[in-house]
Amino acid sequence: MAEKNATLLGRVWQSISAFFKEKIWQGFCVNILYKKFDRYKGWIYLAPAIVLLLIFTVWPIFNTVRMAFLEGYTTMKDVRGDTFSFGLGNFTRVLEYKGFLTALKNTMLLTVLTVPISTFLALLIAVCLNSIKWFSRALQTIFFLPYVTNSIAIGMVFAAMFNMIIGGGARPDFIGVVNIVIEALGGEYINWMNEGAEYWAMITVMVVYIVWNALPFKILILLGGLQSVNKQYYEAAKVDATPRWRVFTRITIPLLSPMLAYVIITGFIGGFKEYSSIVGVFGESMRAPGDPTYTLDTMVGFIYRAISNQEGTASAAALILFVIILVVTMINLYVSKKKTHY
Amino acid sequence: MSEVTKNVSETSAATLQTMRERDMQKVSAKQKIVKICVQTALYLFLGVMALIVLFPFYWMLVSSVKTMPEYIRPIPTLIPHTWDFHNYVEVFQNEDLLLGQLFANTLFVGVVSTLLSLIITVLSAFAFARLEFKGKNLLFAALLATMMIPGELFTITNYQTVNSFGWLNTFTVLIVPFLVSVFYIYLLKQNFQQVPNELYLAAKVDGTTDLKYLWKVMIPLALPTLISITILKMMGSWNSYMWPRLVANDEAHRLITNGLRTAFTSAEGVTDVPLQMAAIAVVSAPLFLVFVFLRKYIMKGVSRSGIKG
Amino acid sequence: MKVELQNLTKIFPSRNKKSGEEVVAVNNFNFTIPDGKLVGLLGPSGCGKSTTLYMISGLQKPSSGKIFFGDEDVTELTPENRGIGLVFQNYALYPHMTVKQNILFPLQNLRGADKLLKEEMLARAYEVAKLVQIDELMDRKPSELSGGQQQRVAIARALVKMPRVLLLDEPLSNLDARLRLQTREEIRRIQKETGITTIFVTHDQEEAMSISDVIVVMKLGVVQQTGKPQQIYDDPCNLFVAKFLGTPPINVFEGEVKAEKLYIGGECVLSVPGVADKAVYVGIRPEGFIPDENGGLSCEILGVDVMGRDVSIVSKNAAMLTPSVRSIVDADYSVAPDQKQIRYTLKPHKVFLFDKETEERIYFEVQ
Repeated sequence: MAEKNATLLGRVWQSISAFFKEKIWQGFCVNILYKKFDRYKGWIYLAPAIVLLLIFTVWPIFNTVRMAFLEGYTTMKDVRGDTFSFGLGNFTRVLEYKGFLTALKNTMLLTVLTVPISTFLALLIAVCLNSIKWFSRALQTIFFLPYVTNSIAIGMVFAAMFNMIIGGGARPDFIGVVNIVIEALGGEYINWMNEGAEYWAMITVMVVYIVWNALPFKILILLGGLQSVNKQYYEAAKVDATPRWRVFTRITIPLLSPMLAYVIITGFIGGFKEYSSIVGVFGESMRAPGDPTYTLDTMVGFIYRAISNQEGTASAAALILFVIILVVTMINLYVSKKKTHY
Repeated sequence: MSEVTKNVSETSAATLQTMRERDMQKVSAKQKIVKICVQTALYLFLGVMALIVLFPFYWMLVSSVKTMPEYIRPIPTLIPHTWDFHNYVEVFQNEDLLLGQLFANTLFVGVVSTLLSLIITVLSAFAFARLEFKGKNLLFAALLATMMIPGELFTITNYQTVNSFGWLNTFTVLIVPFLVSVFYIYLLKQNFQQVPNELYLAAKVDGTTDLKYLWKVMIPLALPTLISITILKMMGSWNSYMWPRLVANDEAHRLITNGLRTAFTSAEGVTDVPLQMAAIAVVSAPLFLVFVFLRKYIMKGVSRSGIKG
Repeated sequence: MKVELQNLTKIFPSRNKKSGEEVVAVNNFNFTIPDGKLVGLLGPSGCGKSTTLYMISGLQKPSSGKIFFGDEDVTELTPENRGIGLVFQNYALYPHMTVKQNILFPLQNLRGADKLLKEEMLARAYEVAKLVQIDELMDRKPSELSGGQQQRVAIARALVKMPRVLLLDEPLSNLDARLRLQTREEIRRIQKETGITTIFVTHDQEEAMSISDVIVVMKLGVVQQTGKPQQIYDDPCNLFVAKFLGTPPINVFEGEVKAEKLYIGGECVLSVPGVADKAVYVGIRPEGFIPDENGGLSCEILGVDVMGRDVSIVSKNAAMLTPSVRSIVDADYSVAPDQKQIRYTLKPHKVFLFDKETEERIYFEVQ
């Protein structure tokens, strides 16, 4: 019965069974217990994963829901021994809280703006990449580059590109490279994110950065989808002398629709979880200098700041976020089920 | 009469033929021109987009070697006049930044968590892909279901948990809570299942233990996926910001992204942009190196995951 | 090494939980495989032959019954402790290892007293590689080999541990027709040279007939007949075995025995002494027909295939149960182009009677 399993438990078992060698009930050991071990082997392999998941995934699901529905819950009070009544207080408080509404508005606005723009641009670029002959590989690599970046670090680069350096005079000492380009094209420089910057200007900066950041993944997925489309469809269209535009709208888009749906759904989910890119550009106070703090807050930002002292509020906000994501995903899936062709 | 008609029809047929041929030539010439125009437009568009995509990187590198006076010129220099590399020296000496320490911390956390995560992932994926036990499918479905829940929901309780474990401001807190990734288990399980079951039976007949089979057969065959997972996990450590900021924000355990953000937030007044850019370039460099050498694996992993880091 | 199977039974729990029916894959298998013989387990798919093989290998545990290698009871032993070599249908070569590494792999698992030195392992590997004639290919990867070569590597890997019993699962089914013939001979040669008791599984009766010393015919988990190939062909014990063995397949008719005479379609075709009056199935091997103007069985000719050595006549008869009646007769016999009818007398030892209920053989005295 040697070494069927050299797992640790198997080895330990072998040494034990060797100890009892020639004892009558060795047969019992081998036949009953060893077989038992064999049956539970799967669980032993999974044990580390299961233990960690129980602590850091399963327990949080229950506990977060619990905290969300206990009125005015904080850990500090809980440890002190306070009791909490069950209720929706956390939710109503969150929804009445001005900071949360700002965060909700910012999150929605950024998502609604960035998902269509980035999806459209990515589709355009992917289709172009798919129909050129030379340098396709090199260009693909370039377009993928923003993916392998640190969103905080490159956010700081974007900040430097939009930021002005205000001097003593009426005109800033340095208007930032983006404004220099705008002026070179005949426009007027804009206060993007310095003191007194308007809300839409700051949102524009964020939209530019988020789209830039979101492009690589979308291009990769869409290009992969395009490349897997059977070339015969295009050849058939060619034989029928189908015009280019018709080929694109009637063949390419429908065949690409599963990937488009995937890209849009993940885009929405990512959009609702936006946080660190704003911290990258605007810093942890999430505002232009002079504005009230957290002018550009998002839902995740709100949740994170509430974690360490207002667990009830944070839990309620997280559940709201979860429900929003769930609903938006459901709507997306419903629409895409009607619109996608397989 | 009939002869005439026949003649006419013959000539007209001939004319039609030549006309058709001429048309065909015209069409093909026209098609060629259209094709060239379209291709040019495509390259132009892609070129412009590529420049836009690349510009932040270019601006970062160029600015990092400029002096402050050169940086704020009204008409920026596209190629720096003076190549001033002292910023790169300074970022390692800067008291606010402590880049060396940040690198060491991040590398340690990245390597340890990747190794442990790989072990857990491989064992779990193997159990799901090859072993038979009661409740397997139910458990796997439950795992997949947790993937739908946004991570923030877990974070709130996890913060309490690690706090009560006394793990705040340790490396443990940066490593342990994220060791299990359901997605990686799923990815590897799919990969393992592509290995024919007969290989497992053959190994059993040869007296190979499960672990040896895993090590000698499954892991070599699933190596590309494992490399993808390794890279994504390392990138995740390198880029993680929110959790480390929350639970380990002291100097001894601070990770690189957090350190970078913190260092350039505190000081009011005019920021030394070139120095900042140099610091960002240094922080980004490892990612780029990994990308240059392992692009294939990253793109493969990403196209199947869609999870950043 | 003699292999003995005693009351071997394998019952699988039902896949469909509601119906709760169990599947009896192998039912009460009793057989002794003599030492050093090549034995073919033959049957249609789903007959339990692969399950039997897997139980002999130890990969599946029997529900009941015992397996002996020689005098040793191996029923409870794990595969690696039985001393078997197993070749899988799809060969199951490790794709990332070279041929040499594949062959060495089983040896590297040996522990304790069996542990070998590196040089010994290499020597053994090259020895078996030479035996199956792949010693030139040792540094290639499986993907660089043809199907036949992969098959040899798989056999070499199974043989390198010097197994007491060699098991082959559908060894030829993944090869094309030409390679199949060649590999068939090869397996025969290797088995003869090593003298290892070899058991293989196949659904191809021709394959089984051509190389086995002994054939075991199975159906739905039950052994139908065992014996030497020719013996089973000449003397099938029931209708299933008769139909399963032989190409072209046996011709089956409705028949009736009356007063020790066999009637097919009302015509008296043969005298069958010792058989009681009853309706029967009549199986007639294609070579059992002799064209004879005075013969008892009349058929309507549909076509004639000339195959050189002999002639195959396709005809039909009202009482036939097979799609057509195919006879193989001497090439000397010629059929006139406009000939519509043919009459046969039958060779008694090529005619088998089967009970209509049990489909069991009814024996009569061949005069």
